[in-house]
Amino acid sequence: MSVPAVFDYHPVQSVDEAIALLQLYGDEAKILAGGHSLLPAMKLRLTQPEHLIDIGPIPNLAYIRKEKDAIVLGTLTRYKQIEQSEILHKYYPILPEGTALIGDQQVRNRGTIGGSVAHSDPAGDMPGIVLALKAQLVVQGANGTRTIAADDFFVDTFLTALEQDEIVTAIRLPLPAPHTGSAYAKISNKASHYAIAGCAAVLTINKKGLCTSASIAITGASTRIIRASEVEAALISKKLDDATITSASSHAVANADLISDIHGSAEYRQQMAAVITRRVIMHALERA
Amino acid sequence: MELEVHINGVIEGLDAVTNESLLSLLRREGYSSVKRGCETGECGACTVLVDGIARPSCVMLASQVGGCTVSTVESLGSAEKLHPLQSAFVEVGATGCGFCTSGMLLSAFALLQNNPSPTEEDVRDALSGNLCRCNGYARPVQAVLRAAALLRGERVEPLAHPTVSVDEVSSVATEQVASGESGKHPILQTSAAASGSGGVTTKIPVISAQMLAPSTPVVPAPRTQLHVIGTATAAHHAVKAVTGKGTFAGDFEPRKMAYARVLTSPHAHAVISSIDVSQAKALPEVLAVLTYKDVPRTPYARIERTGETSLLDQYCLDYVVRYVGDRVAVVVAETAEVAEEALRLIKVEYDVQPAILDQRRAMEPGAVRVHAERESLGIVDAERNIATRVRTEIGDVEQGFASSDHVIETEYLVPAIQQAPIEKYTVTTYFDADDYLVVRTNSQIPNYLRRTLAQLTGLPMRRIRVEQPEIGGHLGLRQHIEGEDLCALLTLATRRPVRLEYTREDEFRSNHVHQQYILRMKTGVRRDGKILASQMVVFADTGAYGTHALTAQSHTVHALALYPCANMRFLAEVLYTNHAPASLSQTYELQHEFFALESHLDDVARQLEMDALALRRLNWLQAGARYPLPLAVGASRGMNTIIDSKGLSTCLQLVEEKIGWKTKRNQRKNDRYRRGVGIALGFYGEPGVLPGTSGASIKLNEEGSFELFAGRSENGSQLTTYLTQIAAEVLGVTTEDILLHAADTSSTPFENSANDVVSFYLNGSAVKKAAEQMLRQILSVAGRILNVLPESLKINHGIIKGAHGMQTTLEQVAQHSLYVENRQLMTTSFWKGQTFPMTFAAQGVEVEVDVETGGVRVLNVVTAIDAGNPINPMLSEAQIEGDVAQALGLSLSEEFFYNQDGVPLLKSWSDAHVFSATEMPELQTYLVESHEGSELFGSKAVAGLAFYGVAPALANAILNAADIRIRYLAFTPERILRAIHAYMSRKSA
Ligand SMILES: Cc1cc2nc3c(=O)[nH]c(=O)nc-3n(C[C@H](O)[C@H](O)[C@H](O)COP(=O)(O)OP(=O)(O)OC[C@H]3O[C@@H](n4cnc5c(N)ncnc54)[C@H](O)[C@@H]3O)c2cc1C
Ligand code: FES
Ligand code: FES
Repeated sequence: MSVPAVFDYHPVQSVDEAIALLQLYGDEAKILAGGHSLLPAMKLRLTQPEHLIDIGPIPNLAYIRKEKDAIVLGTLTRYKQIEQSEILHKYYPILPEGTALIGDQQVRNRGTIGGSVAHSDPAGDMPGIVLALKAQLVVQGANGTRTIAADDFFVDTFLTALEQDEIVTAIRLPLPAPHTGSAYAKISNKASHYAIAGCAAVLTINKKGLCTSASIAITGASTRIIRASEVEAALISKKLDDATITSASSHAVANADLISDIHGSAEYRQQMAAVITRRVIMHALERA
Repeated sequence: MELEVHINGVIEGLDAVTNESLLSLLRREGYSSVKRGCETGECGACTVLVDGIARPSCVMLASQVGGCTVSTVESLGSAEKLHPLQSAFVEVGATGCGFCTSGMLLSAFALLQNNPSPTEEDVRDALSGNLCRCNGYARPVQAVLRAAALLRGERVEPLAHPTVSVDEVSSVATEQVASGESGKHPILQTSAAASGSGGVTTKIPVISAQMLAPSTPVVPAPRTQLHVIGTATAAHHAVKAVTGKGTFAGDFEPRKMAYARVLTSPHAHAVISSIDVSQAKALPEVLAVLTYKDVPRTPYARIERTGETSLLDQYCLDYVVRYVGDRVAVVVAETAEVAEEALRLIKVEYDVQPAILDQRRAMEPGAVRVHAERESLGIVDAERNIATRVRTEIGDVEQGFASSDHVIETEYLVPAIQQAPIEKYTVTTYFDADDYLVVRTNSQIPNYLRRTLAQLTGLPMRRIRVEQPEIGGHLGLRQHIEGEDLCALLTLATRRPVRLEYTREDEFRSNHVHQQYILRMKTGVRRDGKILASQMVVFADTGAYGTHALTAQSHTVHALALYPCANMRFLAEVLYTNHAPASLSQTYELQHEFFALESHLDDVARQLEMDALALRRLNWLQAGARYPLPLAVGASRGMNTIIDSKGLSTCLQLVEEKIGWKTKRNQRKNDRYRRGVGIALGFYGEPGVLPGTSGASIKLNEEGSFELFAGRSENGSQLTTYLTQIAAEVLGVTTEDILLHAADTSSTPFENSANDVVSFYLNGSAVKKAAEQMLRQILSVAGRILNVLPESLKINHGIIKGAHGMQTTLEQVAQHSLYVENRQLMTTSFWKGQTFPMTFAAQGVEVEVDVETGGVRVLNVVTAIDAGNPINPMLSEAQIEGDVAQALGLSLSEEFFYNQDGVPLLKSWSDAHVFSATEMPELQTYLVESHEGSELFGSKAVAGLAFYGVAPALANAILNAADIRIRYLAFTPERILRAIHAYMSRKSA
């Protein structure tokens, strides 16, 4: 349909205002950020909120800052800003690299990192990247502010640990240890570029060339954003030669619930998760 | 809520409801340049600039733009003063149908604001959100780069559109030149002789130098006497397209419009056992609801059939539903949303029937009958679900196979796809002030619609008027009745203007698809490669109805004829299934046949350990030969079976050279990325006389311009440009002097061409004839003015000249005839279907296969087409590039999927896997000019031909690269990978 079902529209000027409205309307309200996922879903009647709370007008939620121990991104930071951020290119090139692969330029002009993370689409790129970066999600609700570790945040397909009256306000990325490399790549569909299988990897190597930390997340292949713990385990304390990486990567989606649809069968996604994981680890390693 | 928005520099106070999209607000306010292609943020047709940033306006709420600056294409420039971007789009031929153009221009504009010196990659990225189905993105990219240079104040090279000329078959040209046989073209002769080889030449030396390798001589072709034909005239509607003024089916809003929605079947095959619409009817603002109970059960066909046969197997509304998406009921209400809500209130009980979801099952004994009803007419064998069949045979095929050294058999599958033009299906019907039922639709069959709607509504034909607006891409999907009958019935029931506009999901679910084909090839060859017998068997899935069951198969032209031999057989069974009904591709429906044939030829060559091109050259159809499969279906029609085109060998030679056949065929192949090249040939033409006709009328205006009335509207194939060029050429004026009126049953002539190729010849010839008659009238008036014999006069640039400097102007002629002789100069002519000349093509593809992922990267596509003397080389090239883009989609990524219950799984653009600007490979396109051509200034239709060779060339290139042969389209990474794994396990076994 060309228009979503009827709703009330509430542009808000502050996070508090947004939270007050969320409290007031409960399940009937939804936050609107870039709108690239929410509005199509509303037009297709996949979701029909009665109140739309537009956080777009809230000032000062679109920023990329380096703090003492973290890099912090405001929830309304657009993909385009991430793509062009010098701070991120320096510390975490995985983020600009990942955003550059999203959809098309119009989506990247408007889509927000907070929207993507809160949307928790298994075929999206940001959730996996944020997970691999071991980000802390700063969320604010009626009971004040709390942070949720990315590992606890992505619960299931389109489901996060956000309470009904909470919104994501920022994403905190711990500063990388020395000799840390990060990378993201995916096998994607034509035109929409949603991931069929993607991998985000953050690796730290010590002086002896051993892997001291590995954080690997898989996008696209599974019905939810997943951490590839078996791959990580197979890398830690190892020297990352080709054989180690290849064998570790073959566990990329071990035990995961795989998607099988017109874009790719479960079998293909599984194979691609392994291939892409190997390639991404190699790439991250080069950067470490 | 009230909003203050700066739209195109003007502050507007506007009222919007909260759930209104910016797109809807803008269109409501009259900015109809902002188009609707999906409304879910995927196609970019609705792109606008919000505070300078390019955005799809369909996924932005109107409420969100309060205080913002919004720009649409109307703000860039007007027809009088185009922005350099707009001029560049016009100059390079970047507008196909024009539906995506405004969006592209705005994305490009936003790019240049931030980055005045973009790279090609930057431009492709900026356009990545603007899908186009017409032109393959190469030209818009070129236009943006050109405009950027101009805006930086740089000088840009004038545009050149070289064609490659062939005078004689190139391999023998040297001898002929040496013996002086090409004497009629002295330049060709000397230069070709000087460099001592083939007859490939080009008109414009500047470009040709880099274009052709040193081995190929480069010389200007002889100048012809034509002024408008052969020039890169801007597309007829280009200025309209770049200023957002194109009027498409959805750009017209009669007052008090009501909106229709169709309830469609959730089952692939079922009988409606009960249907209750009372609740739907009771819903406020619902105006009418129709089911099968409200309409007569009259069998009809959704498509014009000009031949003898007729197949009537459809009903406006029926109690049997035959595919998921088939019509069940239709509702009209004050808004589309209310209509949609009413659909949910209709209670239907279905008696679900077994369904046929694989055409191989259709003929099995005991298979359910898709058409068990008595009323349908013309089905060949309803018992076995055979809608129609074609058989043609020469010689003794079995004997031919028996006497062959090798007999090679292979099977191919071309899956269904959906053509998916960017514009959605849209029809509006209303009664005008004269009480005519007006039908405005983007289905391109005005006369057939008029006739059929008269039958179905009971109105006399004279009270029905069909208007054809511009069409936002035809692609074969706009050549049948889709919902015009329902819409008309609703207008009749309510006396209100009614619009039925599909959503993108409706397009995929209910509209027709390009049918699935299974093809079996069998070839018998002698050890030396000579083909002794050949056979092609086709099983076509026409889906639930035989809409186009006859169209595709009833050509007299078949791919198999490319390699004539004494014993040939072509068989086709067109089978009913419970899939969506079949539509066409835009032109001759031969891509599946060429995919099978040209893949198969490489298989044969491999078996013989022979060079694949040598095998082709040994067996192909040559100039002077007889078309080998005569009387296929055209038994009762006249035939012209001698092939006169000599273009094929030049095309192949060119492609062989440009793709690097000799060097790239044998590359090292053991790393992860493997490269290979493949080539395939194609042709079309019509050796049998086609039924069909078209007319044209021309009227001379008193200022010396002409009104031209023709039967077919613009659909992205550039027909209207060609028609104005033809008229301008004959009448000695420019295309600006030709005012075209197309496709309105109340004022333009009848025409019933089956596709863009046929329409090119039918309409082009009718216009040429009418213009010639007009010229004779003009010259005779001029003769009387100047007191000389008309035969002594010539017209050029609107001035009629005789001997001794005497002259008069068109304007004077017009005024003299109107006011002195009291006659309006006006002519009308018609053209009958004829045989059309053969047009040949060669296409080469280079690929890189990633053997770990199965991904295929296309590095280069080279196309050479024997275009005769092209009417407009620029637009022909653009069209070829568009066809290549379509063919790449068909070959690599697009596929129409159903689940096990026959439910289509495509819902949105994201599911369609079409190519975007960033994914298109390099395209090299060559128009080979051959002089035998057609009666239409020697020009030939090129539409669709470049569609044929891409899939088989890709298949052959993949075979060359990775040693795998895939006989199923599309070559998705998954399918390729599976083949690679199978190959590796075979090898290690
Ligand atoms: C054609 C197309 C192609 C695309 N391709 C890709 C791709 O390749 N990769 C990819 O990753 N994505 C892709 N996307 C999705 C895109 O990235 C979305 O923009 C993104 O997923 C959502 O961000 P948004 O800002 O638009 O959020 P919205 O659509 O505004 O919101 C999404 C959801 O998050 C909630 N939400 C938003 N912000 C907050 C917040 N601060 N706190 C709590 N809840 C919030 C909303 O209520 C909603 O449920 C594509 C989209 C389109 C239209
Ligand atoms: S993106 Fe808006 S109509 Fe397609
Ligand atoms: S010109 Fe792009 S869709 Fe027709």
